[in-house]
Amino acid sequence: MIAAAIVLVVLVTLLIGARGVAAIRSTSDFLVASRRISPTLNAAAVSGEYLSAASFLGVAGLVLKDGIGALWYGVGFTAGYIAMLALVAAPMRRTGALTVPDFAEARLGSAGLRKLSAVVVLVIATLYLVPQFKAAGLVLTVVTGTPYWVGVVVAGAAVSITLALGGMRAATYVQAFQFGLKLLLFIIPAIWLVSHVGADTRRDALAPVEFTRFDRAAPVEFRLDVELTITEPTPVSISGGPAEVLRPGRYEAVAGSTWTFPAGAAVPKVDGALPPGGDRWSRPLLDPNDSGYPLLSTLSLLMATVLGAMGLPHIIVRFHTSSDGRGARRTAAITVALLSVFYLFPGVYGALGAVLLPELYLAGGTDTVVVALPARVDSGPLGTLFTALLSAGAFAAFLATSLGLLLAMSGAVSHDLLPGATVRRLRLTTLGAAVFVVAVALPAAHLDVGALVTSAFAVAASTFCPLLVLGIWWARLTARGAVVGMVVGLVASAGVIGASFFLATPPGLAATLLGQPALWSVPLAFLTMVLVSLRGRPPAWATAAMLRLHLDETERSRQRR
Amino acid sequence: MTRQRRATVTSPQTRLAMARRRTGVRAELPHLAPADLERARRIHRAQLRRAVVAVALLALLIIGLPVVLAAFPGLDEVRVAGVPVSWLAVAVLPYPALVLLAGWQLRRAERVERHRELP
Repeated sequence: MIAAAIVLVVLVTLLIGARGVAAIRSTSDFLVASRRISPTLNAAAVSGEYLSAASFLGVAGLVLKDGIGALWYGVGFTAGYIAMLALVAAPMRRTGALTVPDFAEARLGSAGLRKLSAVVVLVIATLYLVPQFKAAGLVLTVVTGTPYWVGVVVAGAAVSITLALGGMRAATYVQAFQFGLKLLLFIIPAIWLVSHVGADTRRDALAPVEFTRFDRAAPVEFRLDVELTITEPTPVSISGGPAEVLRPGRYEAVAGSTWTFPAGAAVPKVDGALPPGGDRWSRPLLDPNDSGYPLLSTLSLLMATVLGAMGLPHIIVRFHTSSDGRGARRTAAITVALLSVFYLFPGVYGALGAVLLPELYLAGGTDTVVVALPARVDSGPLGTLFTALLSAGAFAAFLATSLGLLLAMSGAVSHDLLPGATVRRLRLTTLGAAVFVVAVALPAAHLDVGALVTSAFAVAASTFCPLLVLGIWWARLTARGAVVGMVVGLVASAGVIGASFFLATPPGLAATLLGQPALWSVPLAFLTMVLVSLRGRPPAWATAAMLRLHLDETERSRQRR
Repeated sequence: MTRQRRATVTSPQTRLAMARRRTGVRAELPHLAPADLERARRIHRAQLRRAVVAVALLALLIIGLPVVLAAFPGLDEVRVAGVPVSWLAVAVLPYPALVLLAGWQLRRAERVERHRELP
């Protein structure tokens, strides 16, 4: 049944994709769907594209893992569209450029900047795509028992076939459809869960107590290798074997094993993880690295998500599907409202998960809390039905986001890095990009969905955000300033995050500043761009190139024709 | 037609123009007629002022809320209908505020264009 629901989502996606095939005439059609899409439909498509696995599964999972403060993710993801509305949407649409690299060349006339922007597109898209495919594999592993790689390969195949058949015209319908689907599949199970769990659980969810003892015999299925510290002699049954008493000390639980703890047993400790329900967990500030600087971590996350949204390559492309600058601005405003509805609900799953499935934090499986809750609440057919609905929604989320990201990647390769794009080449590149991402996602099972997506936002905020904001509002920006600023921003965000994967994380303030660099990397990139630009001279046409982005289309065409 | 076939020029602007030609958008170097230039300058100033105000309000909201929550941990204990106020402040409160801010900024930005309401 669960598999059937997922297959249905893939089939409908393919069908809607096939509908758009007849409409493809040229590369520009493939990329931006001929710009004939109303603001509301486009806003639904933007939201559909934007609500990825990180939103559908990740935010609730992070609430369970890091506490109520993880709800700031939703706020930042939504608020990004206000920054977009105020600073970028309309002028960016008026450039007539198809992508950020196009914008870079149109505004600053530098082919080198275009290529650099294309490289940044590839970095952001990879950081964003890998967790989507990881989540696809994870959900299939949890609900159907298939191996991780099957889910990853199935997702990759579905997404790349849809794109290669229909391009973005198809993707606009697909995304708008997927937004409605995801909204329903997220909200209805949430309402059912809240009404079904009973008054006691509801009360417990709002006044959580720290998870220190198992309140029932709980099987803990380890998704990753986890090091546990057992604090008192505990009888544990490992993978169905007879219960043996483990003495206090450190133990290694290997991925794939199931440890069953008896009711009343003390919960083992996990390094660096926060037991759900405690005082620190209940604080509405985010401190994922346990650095002791929750306010700073929260603000850094908000800086990355709010300013990163405008720099996400797959979202920027979608604003060009609006008919004109005004349409793009309206699209951004409607998107804020649509996302606001969605993000009211991850907290419901997170708070219920902390009461009903706190053991997920031990197992490294917090990303699965959304799809695991229905079966925990109702072991009958109704629970299975809602598991199926949520799995279908989660799969819709991977498909939707991956469509746009693969398009942005293939666009960057075949449009910007290589000259002379053709429809045939775009389709082939899409396929190639999908194969590449699947190959990277296969060994990435241990990475956190939410953390990777946030680093994609941090990179976007440190590179494209200053380029777009200064390019649109400041005539003195020079190509050299933009290049140096973007390189500095890229190294400060992607470089630091990449290094922190390999090096041991330092404690305290440094952990926050390196794990979540947006708070300093974004201002640094802005400052570099401004200072280097001030040392040079913009070309004579720079003022006109900037100002024309602010003339609305109707006024200008009356002058011209 | 003849102009469209001259494809060997290699400056970035020309290559951009080539890309535009394929997409059916007219190629042009960035320039504005003097009347357009003056109007664009005024619109730019008016829109910039509105955008800065909107972004400042946004910053006030999303920086202010965490600061308030950090400064007053007592809000965790205050409850409305059983829910801690500090949870509502992050889970619910920001969204209506964001929607209102978006609608307000959209109206102001469109008014600049529609009525030429300029300084």
